[in-house]
Amino acid sequence: MKGKRFLMVVGVLFLALTVAALPFVGACAAKPAAGPTLKYGMSICVTGVAAEKGTPMAHGKLDCVKYINEELGGVNGYPIEAIWYDNAYDAARAAVIVKKIMDEGALFFTTNSSKMMSCSMEIANRDGFPGIASFSSPVCTNPPKHIYAQMPDYGDDWAAFANYYMENIWEGPGKPKMALHLLNNPTGYGARDAALCLADELGIELLPEEEHAADTISEMESMTRIKALEPDVLFISSTPAPTAVVIKNAYELGMYPGIVIGCAHASYTKALVDIAGADIVEGVYGVYGTVEWGDDVPGMAKMMAYCERYHPQDAENMDYMFSWAEALIGAEILRLALENCGYEAIAWGDAAAWECVEKNGIQKLDYDVLGLQSPVKYTPGDNRLAKSVRVFQIIDGTITAISDWIVAPRVPFEQYPDLFPWAVP
Amino acid sequence: MGLPCGTHNYTYDQDMAILRTKTHWALLIALLVLLFTFPLYGGGYWLSVANLIGITVIAAIGLNILLGYCGQLSIGHAGFIAVGAFTSAILTNVLGLPFLVGLIAAGLMAGFIGLIFGIPSLKVKGFYLAIATIAAQFIIIWVINHLEITGGFVGIAVPYASIGGLVFDSEASMFYLIMVIVVMCTFFAKNLARTRVGRAFVAIRDNDLAAKVMGINLFYYKLLAFFIGCFFAGIAGSLMAHWIGFMNAEQFSLMESILYIGMIIIGGLGTALGPILGVIFIRLMQQGMIFVAPTIEAAFPALPAGFATGIAPMLFGLIIILFLILEPRGIAHRWMLFKAAYRLWPFSY
Repeated sequence: MKGKRFLMVVGVLFLALTVAALPFVGACAAKPAAGPTLKYGMSICVTGVAAEKGTPMAHGKLDCVKYINEELGGVNGYPIEAIWYDNAYDAARAAVIVKKIMDEGALFFTTNSSKMMSCSMEIANRDGFPGIASFSSPVCTNPPKHIYAQMPDYGDDWAAFANYYMENIWEGPGKPKMALHLLNNPTGYGARDAALCLADELGIELLPEEEHAADTISEMESMTRIKALEPDVLFISSTPAPTAVVIKNAYELGMYPGIVIGCAHASYTKALVDIAGADIVEGVYGVYGTVEWGDDVPGMAKMMAYCERYHPQDAENMDYMFSWAEALIGAEILRLALENCGYEAIAWGDAAAWECVEKNGIQKLDYDVLGLQSPVKYTPGDNRLAKSVRVFQIIDGTITAISDWIVAPRVPFEQYPDLFPWAVP
Repeated sequence: MGLPCGTHNYTYDQDMAILRTKTHWALLIALLVLLFTFPLYGGGYWLSVANLIGITVIAAIGLNILLGYCGQLSIGHAGFIAVGAFTSAILTNVLGLPFLVGLIAAGLMAGFIGLIFGIPSLKVKGFYLAIATIAAQFIIIWVINHLEITGGFVGIAVPYASIGGLVFDSEASMFYLIMVIVVMCTFFAKNLARTRVGRAFVAIRDNDLAAKVMGINLFYYKLLAFFIGCFFAGIAGSLMAHWIGFMNAEQFSLMESILYIGMIIIGGLGTALGPILGVIFIRLMQQGMIFVAPTIEAAFPALPAGFATGIAPMLFGLIIILFLILEPRGIAHRWMLFKAAYRLWPFSY
């Protein structure tokens, strides 16, 4: 009994101390550089159901900040202070984290998923706090407020691929029949929304869409329905694991090879090849906003060196590269804000600083991102910073670029208020 | 409830009083003063944490009425919160109705949907009822995703809450709105347990067959518990929607529903204080976890990749397991023991 009582006392004390101390652990979380810094807020999901994407993305942007501070001496002499928290892909936590980042005087913030941005964006918009979503759905930037997208969204992916398909792949008479297989969230339905707007204009006949869950293990039923409709092309907007399931089922049903399969950027990473198997996904098309790993572009060598040194397990992961590029864009935004406003104007990280960073940093962007992704430039009324993607194809098990940058036209959602009331200003 | 030595009840009113002594009143007033002056010294972040805790407390009180008092297991609570959130969003954004209409309608709609999914409770209980309510979670989310008026998969923007000309457009003003409702809900729940309805709930929880023999209408009271529990969830959902400003169905996952059950178990099932303590415990621990990976990575850069990020969920799980082993009756029980010991201190007996 004495042992149990002792254990209980120790346990309760441990729990009480842990709970009491946890919120204050934050005091040691950020290790600010000596002297004035530029605070860069990051809400990242390194745990939770999206950790397989969030973790390499966290590595990419934090490694890039390290590179900028250590080798470039910061931005115009001011080191970047990364203020980052793990949102665990949880809406409640993401909503609170954006407040935490604002409180700590960050000049802008980024999220690496559209879901986390959708939970944070109105809180940021209401206070005029600028944010950038690495991966974004159309609702993040429509109507345009204070949230920007690092690259074209899931709807733009569809538009870019459909354009490319009609110009370079489709050779038959009449309209090609396109089937859509969509993840049951904005990642999937962003593509569907763009297709509803633009399919007629592009001369594509849309078949009834099918949807799947992120944890699907078989899509034989939905793929059988699609097969019966005899599509010419199948577009998948999802994440790698369910995309692999859909393609494997298409393969097993004898649909593929035979039809063309295209993927949106969230589906299309090395993980897709690893999960589905190189033989099965051979020839599958996809769009993505970065160059290939190892391409001869100015920013590649340094990024690969840091990846090799600090996170070698992320080698060839395009999410790492994409996130590294995000930090480069962040540094460029800060450089522009410093040049146009001066450090004193942004030092406090308050509403005036946010306005300065947005108007004189983000909206003045015209940057090639050292060739790692499509160039970024702000256009009034279009909060997508990059506006082009490249088309890739899996050739001999390797994701290989087959096009130069092609424009992903902005989808005019606001012109269809009945279909997309959220896009109306 | 135990009373301090020498305090006796001589009248029925005294016996029924929640606040029986001057110390009780003093502590309550001190607590309310501390609570309602919090915006004066809490920063934006801590206010937002407090708002999140407040909203969660309202939903947890509802679940505690359903599960803690009436014994009806529901694993679809996040779904009912979603019903409230989207009802309020649609009424205020699409139809332009006042916030108060949205708030009340959110509670009523969630309560009504709760009634529908509560119907199986007459025939099934325990794990079987859990499965039925899991179905509620999935059906509700599916419907929200496939309705145009909810914004489908994309979601829907929600305006600031406002009453008359008073717009709740800051964390501090939302804090007052949320906390007033928290106090009202807590007061309601505390009193509900002492009414005929509350005693019927407890009788059903303890032995529904015996309750039926005593003349308690099981169908009515079980459905009433579902209605009240889900009404609270709907109110919480409405506040959540106006606080975050944008809703989509992804924000109401099954994991969130399970977490709510965890909160009231850790706090103490079937007590008025339990949901509050459980919510504070879990939400603060979650806030602590957002710092864990950054702190460890900053302090120990040489650790293998993935180690720091793996620590947070492991620590979270470990603390909950330890808690359930060491204090399975919840924090509220530990608090009662502490009060009893404090009253007797320094004497053991």
